[in-house]
Amino acid sequence: MEPVITGLLLLADPFNFFLIFCGVVVGVTVGALPGLSSPMAVALLLPFTIGLEPVAAIAMLASLYCAGTFGGSITAILINAPGAPPAVATAFDGYPMAQRGEAGRALGLAAVSSVIGGVFSLVVFLLATPMLAKVALSFNPPEYFALAVFALSMLASISGKSSIRNLIGGTVGVLISTIGIHLTTGVERFTFGSPEMSDGIHFVAVLIGLFAMGELLNQSQTLKVTLERIESIVVKLPSRADFNRVKWTILRSCGLGTFIGILPAEGSTVAAIMGYNEAKRWSKNKEEFGKGCPEGIAGPEAANNAAAGGAMVPTLALGIPGSGTTAIILAALIMHGFRPGPYLMNETPHFIYAIFGAMLIANFMFLGIGLAGAKLFSRITLIPKTFLWPAVFVFSLVGAYSYSSSLFDVWVMLIAGIVGFVMRRHGFGPAPLVMGLILGPLVEERLSQSMILFDNNWFRFFESPIVNLFFFLTALSLFWPLISPLFKRLFRSSTQ
Amino acid sequence: MNDQPVPKERDIGPETSEVRKETFASALVHGPDLVLTVIILAFCGLVYYWTSEFEEVPQLLAQNLPPEWFPQLLLWTIIVLTLSLPFEHLFLKAGKKELDEDRKAKVQPIAIITALLLFGIVVMFETLGTIISMILVCILLPPLWGERRLKMIFSFAIIFPSTVAFVFSNLLKVYFEPGILALFLP
Repeated sequence: MEPVITGLLLLADPFNFFLIFCGVVVGVTVGALPGLSSPMAVALLLPFTIGLEPVAAIAMLASLYCAGTFGGSITAILINAPGAPPAVATAFDGYPMAQRGEAGRALGLAAVSSVIGGVFSLVVFLLATPMLAKVALSFNPPEYFALAVFALSMLASISGKSSIRNLIGGTVGVLISTIGIHLTTGVERFTFGSPEMSDGIHFVAVLIGLFAMGELLNQSQTLKVTLERIESIVVKLPSRADFNRVKWTILRSCGLGTFIGILPAEGSTVAAIMGYNEAKRWSKNKEEFGKGCPEGIAGPEAANNAAAGGAMVPTLALGIPGSGTTAIILAALIMHGFRPGPYLMNETPHFIYAIFGAMLIANFMFLGIGLAGAKLFSRITLIPKTFLWPAVFVFSLVGAYSYSSSLFDVWVMLIAGIVGFVMRRHGFGPAPLVMGLILGPLVEERLSQSMILFDNNWFRFFESPIVNLFFFLTALSLFWPLISPLFKRLFRSSTQ
Repeated sequence: MNDQPVPKERDIGPETSEVRKETFASALVHGPDLVLTVIILAFCGLVYYWTSEFEEVPQLLAQNLPPEWFPQLLLWTIIVLTLSLPFEHLFLKAGKKELDEDRKAKVQPIAIITALLLFGIVVMFETLGTIISMILVCILLPPLWGERRLKMIFSFAIIFPSTVAFVFSNLLKVYFEPGILALFLP
């Protein structure tokens, strides 16, 4: 209990509280702005947190993550332009409800469902993180390697069009992480004699480039797109009748979202889409879906926010990111000198509880801010792109440079941005590459240790039941797209 | 000019089987992804060559894991995955349409010009310094993207970079490269 109190007391510092508030405001703002996303905002803010205390820095980034997931629903409902990918499913019913003149009701439902989802997942986070960390403490290098491979294999089912492209992106990310000095032999790899590259490619510059620069170039092509707007919003909390109608949907989505969040690599977007599908499947009013059904708003909103809390569990307990944004938060932990994984829970448990507290506060803050300021946040889409994106580039420039005061990082950011832009056109998302980049050192280190332990005998991996379990799960996640139709057919024939 | 009737596929006669073969091949292999596959494979070949150029280390030091071993393992993984790219559309519900959604529109000149402008600013970044570079971005990018309100552009170009510089250097202790401003500072 003592670490819990110590952790929560850390947040009592008014400055930390102020930073959480800033994180929430920035999160809701970027979440609401189409094109800007919470991974991008976390990546942009990352270098600026160097001067902050680790608790304050991570609390701010985690708050931004929570609020950003909710923020996307504001514009999804009001202008049918989901500010962030997790809010795509919210627009299916949120916008039709708003068109009926019930924008306030839709926003209220979204906000309350989001908070319930967020708080539910945080309770799971509080209970599951220490348990998972305890289990992970018994892992040896082969088990850790198998876990990391499983996490990378989950990229196959991460949101996006193509499983193969996600896997290629993840592997390229791991390959980029090998740039620099090889730890075992001291040999320089892919450095081409450049001293800047001996230390490897700083992930901060790559993150900023992929998420911010790539999107900037993408946005330059959509300058003429105008958004339809719904006016006169009076945000209402859900009525008792509405709440009774959606309570089971919310509960189901809470469980589903948290579970999906805990799975490595799967994030809020997958959770939201599954939350919507499940809400529809269990609903007695299926015909109302797509026309402004309350369950169609509550389901995805509870699920995507539950996934945000769930994704923090593997990130903090295992050092394996639960989503694209938590991959960046993991990078922030490394940047602040922490060793993410079971040792974090063992050595600095109060730190984990401080993050829990920050996310809990953030959930209630965005409820207040979201309800009171929905009208204002819907207006931020009026900021012309011609000023918004130059501002994003300014942050990218300063962020990439300030990390290590090196022009080389600015070049890395620019090149990563152009590569990210080209990649996106061909169906390669930035998140898998980032996951690979961050997991890369762990994969290589654990694989090398295992191979030395096993005297280069690959078959000895199969001696451990945990390794076998992870390899089985890896195979399952890789071949799931092929075997899932078979399962569906079997399920259908058994129910008929 | 082109008033001759275009022969229908069934009128072609002896070439029909060839046409069918082409149709079958194009149905099996997705053209744009085939090109993408060739590019990725060529890139992998180049990187593989680089790995072969790594400094050699004694076996005892490498412990059977030379520095090129892991990158080469990754490259083989990428190669295997890439080889399936031209056939991936066969396993997707919406097929080629889904994969081509983002790339069907050509890259607009504005994106290339924007990239070139930002490239130019980064080239001059060290000489100009952070603050001047920020101002340049704010002055040049909005008009390039079609903004015509000059007063707003200039206000933005002055207020935004100064606020960023002030907040970040004072609150977050971020170092700003002075560049040519150093000549005018005491």
